[in-house]
Amino acid sequence: MPEEYLVAQDLHKSFNEHKAVNGVSFAIHKGEIFGLLGPNGAGKTTTIRMLSTVLEPDQGDVTIGGHSMKREADAVRNLIGVCPQELALYVELGALDNLVFFGRMAGLSSQEAKEQAKTHLALVGLEERGKGRIDKFSGGMKRRVNLAVALMGHPELLFLDEPTVGIDPQSRNNIYETIEGLRDKGMTILYTTHYMEEADRLCDRIAIMDGGQIIALDTPHELKAQIGPPEQVTLEDVFLKLTGRSLRD
Amino acid sequence: MVRALQIALLQVRIYLQDKGDLAFSLLLPIVTFALIYGAFGGQTQFHATAHIVNEDSGGTYSKILLEQLDALDELDVELLSLTEADRKLERADLLMVIVIPEDFSDGLVSGEQVQLLFKQRGNAGQEGQIVRALVQSVADDISLGLQVQEQVIAALVDGNTTIHQIETTVERLLDEERENPTVAVAEEAIGSSPDAVNQFLPGIITMYVLFAIMLTARTLVEERQLGTLERLLTTRLSVGQLFAGKFLAGISRGFIQTVILMVLSYAVFQIFTPLSFVSALLVALVFTGAASALGLVLASAVRTPDQATWAGVFITMAMVMISGTFFPIEEGSVMEILSRISINTYANDAFTTLIAEGGSMADLGLEMGVLAGVIVIGLLLSRYLFKAMPGGR
Ligand SMILES: Nc1ncnc2c1ncn2[C@@H]1O[C@H](COP(=O)(O)OP(=O)(O)O)[C@@H](O)[C@H]1O
Ligand SMILES: [Mg+2]
Repeated sequence: MPEEYLVAQDLHKSFNEHKAVNGVSFAIHKGEIFGLLGPNGAGKTTTIRMLSTVLEPDQGDVTIGGHSMKREADAVRNLIGVCPQELALYVELGALDNLVFFGRMAGLSSQEAKEQAKTHLALVGLEERGKGRIDKFSGGMKRRVNLAVALMGHPELLFLDEPTVGIDPQSRNNIYETIEGLRDKGMTILYTTHYMEEADRLCDRIAIMDGGQIIALDTPHELKAQIGPPEQVTLEDVFLKLTGRSLRD
Repeated sequence: MVRALQIALLQVRIYLQDKGDLAFSLLLPIVTFALIYGAFGGQTQFHATAHIVNEDSGGTYSKILLEQLDALDELDVELLSLTEADRKLERADLLMVIVIPEDFSDGLVSGEQVQLLFKQRGNAGQEGQIVRALVQSVADDISLGLQVQEQVIAALVDGNTTIHQIETTVERLLDEERENPTVAVAEEAIGSSPDAVNQFLPGIITMYVLFAIMLTARTLVEERQLGTLERLLTTRLSVGQLFAGKFLAGISRGFIQTVILMVLSYAVFQIFTPLSFVSALLVALVFTGAASALGLVLASAVRTPDQATWAGVFITMAMVMISGTFFPIEEGSVMEILSRISINTYANDAFTTLIAEGGSMADLGLEMGVLAGVIVIGLLLSRYLFKAMPGGR
């Protein structure tokens, strides 16, 4: 039985009567990449915001690394790194400055923050661009910085909310490789996406989410095996079969 | 605490990044200062133009009056026709015109009362009143000379002295008296400290400090829009540290401008002593703190940058208006009670005590106490509001 690093129990969140997340429970094993796959509006971001202590659930609790989020939010914050769906960077400042600053916020000393910032910039292929201002960067470069910031302080659990949306194939590939490298070093990762191949390639296990609920949870292989020979079906087939073909907002 | 400083430092660095914003906010106090200097600093001597309609043209005494007025350092004389004068008064191009009546010279010679007519809008303004007093004193002087001359002639004319001799002697004596007046006026300059600077500087300083309200009010919504606020809330940074950092950033930004303004005033007008300067800096610091704390209250309550700006501007204007910074407020009036709501009142009183009344920190217990209280209450209230708002904590 693998160690459960994150346990979410019966999470609920409504915005003005609209149930964005409606009874979500799952566990993430230590050292795995766990995928949250779902169409726009499924409730992925709302779930991540609750798991990362930003949003208080209407109901339910989360345990991360043995700490209850309700009672020990500060302890939880010491364990996590978040790469939000929307860029969250100080655009007037340089890439390195952003990394160092968030490193300090993660509790690193000035020296440690500088060292880690350089390492992480190199990891996302931006070692030469540390001085460049964020608002002068391309979309792909910004996304890579956004990811690098989440790594500051070497969190045990990383939340990645659609980190590859709308970027060039090279940047996307760099992000895949970075994430796989982190998993190989033992980091636990929660990854949300609505790209099927991406989830298939990266994730050890996948929860398919729709309408604020998890409607399937298994390894990519097993999910595909549910509807046919795994070599012949794609995750997209599984997804469409489970969620139906109606259009989403 | 280190993290709060990091937040403040980051904020200041972003502020320094934006060259336009930086130049504007540093130039503003310098330009304001230049304006005060232009208005009150350079010309310590009163100087004005007397606009005169001379209906007694060709008359001996109107000519003498005009010559003597022109000879005054304080006055330039500009002649104009009656219709021109009426038109300019009508359009408020001029506030006062002096009309020398047709019978001015004849009347003086015959010993009748003559009237100088001061046509004016309202009370003619401060400058008009001074011009009027100057013209009147010159006219009095002329008529007095004439009366003395008349009486001396009346007393002596039957003797051997001719009228001409009497006239020239009286004229000579009067000239001597003018050259060398019995009651002389001496000036002794004590520093170069015109009252106007003392009177207006406190208000200008406090107004600058109040800009801190607007700047601080924007800081949380801006970070919320950037997404960095949410990111910060997932780190080890506590909300208390975040607010402390924003508070310090607000203080440092507002304080830089104030220091520039005060250093310039010190250097040029010498309105401070070293002790009163340090005291005034301390007042400015505490007052900037109060403004930043109020800014944080707004920051926790507003939802958009526009709301932040307008709320900040509104509060700033309201504080300035009801504080009586620029209009005198009657003692014991409703306005005076109302003015006690504005933090500006306390800062203004404190600066006035230090700058204009030569007081010290020991006299500022009430003012400093209130401002410090505003800081504490503002910080607590903003923290509470942040907890109550959606997405807050
Ligand atoms: N702050 C919010 N206020 C109101 N509605 C929200 C808010 N955040 C999300 N929602 C709604 O909740 C649902 C789930 O959104 P989200 O979690 O962002 O989905 P996903 O990330 O899967 O695209 C959507 O219908 C969205 O409109
Ligand atoms: Mg989302």
